[in-house]
Amino acid sequence: MLNDIKVGLLAATSSIKRGNKKTLIFVIFVLALIFVNLVFLPSMIKGVSGTMTTMLQDYNYGDIVIEPSGDNQFINDADGVLEKVRAVSGVKSATKRLDVAASIQYNQKTVGATTTGLIPSEEMEVSRYPYIINEGDFLGELSKNEIILGAMIAGTGFGSEIYDNLGEVKPGALVDVIYSNGIKKTYKVKGIMEGTFELVDLNALVNYKEIESVYGLNKSKATSIVIRIENPGKEDEIKSKIIEVGVKEKVSTWKEKSDALIRQAMESIDTIDIISKYISLIVGAALILIIVYINVLNRRKEIGILKAVGISKLSIVISYAFISMFYVSMGIIVGLILYFLLIIYFTYNPVSFYQNLKIIPEIQVNLIFNSIISMMVMSLIAGILPAWRVSKESILNAIWGN
Amino acid sequence: MGKKVLIKVKNLKRYYNSGNIIVKAIDGLNFEVEEGEFIAVIGPSGSGKTTMLRILGLIDSPTKGEYFSQGLNVANLPENERTYYRLTELGYIFQDYALINEMSALENVYMLSLMEGNSKKEAIETALDALKKVGLEGKENRVPNELSGGEKQRVAIARAISKTPHILFADEPCANLDTKTSEQVLDVLKNLNQKYGQTIIMVTHEEWHLKYASRIIELKDGLIKSDRKTRG
Repeated sequence: MLNDIKVGLLAATSSIKRGNKKTLIFVIFVLALIFVNLVFLPSMIKGVSGTMTTMLQDYNYGDIVIEPSGDNQFINDADGVLEKVRAVSGVKSATKRLDVAASIQYNQKTVGATTTGLIPSEEMEVSRYPYIINEGDFLGELSKNEIILGAMIAGTGFGSEIYDNLGEVKPGALVDVIYSNGIKKTYKVKGIMEGTFELVDLNALVNYKEIESVYGLNKSKATSIVIRIENPGKEDEIKSKIIEVGVKEKVSTWKEKSDALIRQAMESIDTIDIISKYISLIVGAALILIIVYINVLNRRKEIGILKAVGISKLSIVISYAFISMFYVSMGIIVGLILYFLLIIYFTYNPVSFYQNLKIIPEIQVNLIFNSIISMMVMSLIAGILPAWRVSKESILNAIWGN
Repeated sequence: MGKKVLIKVKNLKRYYNSGNIIVKAIDGLNFEVEEGEFIAVIGPSGSGKTTMLRILGLIDSPTKGEYFSQGLNVANLPENERTYYRLTELGYIFQDYALINEMSALENVYMLSLMEGNSKKEAIETALDALKKVGLEGKENRVPNELSGGEKQRVAIARAISKTPHILFADEPCANLDTKTSEQVLDVLKNLNQKYGQTIIMVTHEEWHLKYASRIIELKDGLIKSDRKTRG
């Protein structure tokens, strides 16, 4: 066996060292592209999911979110929960919110929107809502009968053409809000917010007290408590601490929430990704098979000669396995260089998603590792099969074709 | 006491199917080869010379008959044993050199020694010695494309003798060479035979090559027409 490997390696290195360099470069380049195709698209998809997750964290869930437990509609003692949460070390800020369903009317146009009651001053430390007002101003602590509309429902932002909207509502305009309990109130539009994200731009914001008053709520009710922590990455640890201090409501980290929320969307994209990956692998395998097969056919006579002078079949097969693995290894190395160049390029020139949502590809070490293993295994199979087939031919047939 | 018999062939036949016709390439050969002989096999085209040599070199198998090499019936050995026997006991020189173009002269030769299980250092020493025997000192690192026809054939001879085979088969080794180069190649073979006692069976169609041989077997229609010793 050792002799077979030694001779196989000698035949392979000679072939690579003195073979056609142009063909070698071409083959390596094509294999590099196959590798890039295997790892780059998933990195972009991961970038999309990462960006969407960040958006959910910045607006809807913070780092940790507390929601009503069981079938409860509200967290009943939101202020009590907030007090406990704020006392937990590592918690930077927290606020309560009330989400309700409502219809908004303007100039005989009606759209449905989740309307969130929030405490404006606390949101400064918890979310990005106060920082995405592109027309008018954010709510104040004493805001009454004032509303912030998402740009998509206001009809002024990117994506308005897709959704029903109120037809270019500007700050200062008066809109009617009909809440789910039937109460109708008129609000002055104080500002238009644009987060280029449906879950923000299809919503409306009012002061927490507005919702409390419209729904007649007392004893500090909330549909969610949104928490920011001092050291991102320690969400699980803080979550445990929050539970330990006696919070009985449902506590989730942003990761748990966003995983559940965007899982469905990502599963569809992942399906496309998996199909694309398999096609790339099959095309790659076919390419390596074709390259090695043509190589083997061109060398049928040589294989016959090697057999005739006493070189074992195993040595011959090993030599082609080495050649094939060399092609693929070089293809992977060049592919990795290309991949990292693309990552650097797209990090500095992110792909625009919606209007100003930027997608930056994310490196996935596991995926790179799996792709390398897949390509190496594929190269071994693609290298061995044709060589094995030709090496089984009779010497007369291989050398003289008879 | 007679010399050791290296090859004994009994009623050796090789038939081919060509459409509905059976071609009798060789049709019952009987002969023995003793150690140290330099045999020239001659005969017109289609007489069975090359077929016979391929069977003796274990590159082809007989349809019928027995072939003993050093007392071992090798006619129907399994494929892997035939390969090993070719590697360790037989040398074969092809008409068209049959070198691996991407390997240097040295690599073409030492590959076989490596296959036999020698270390790389030992294999290279053996190969250099074989290349020296055929007068190719200093050209070890050239690839076949950088060598003349005669030099290529000498590399092929070096490859064949590097493993000190019991018998060296040469299938028209000068077919692609001019007269002067042919003489050089035949001198190498003659030298191997006379100086090192190498047993050689050479197929040729050139009358003037016969002066190098110690015995001439003439084939016709797959049968031995004549078998005679010469001065050598």
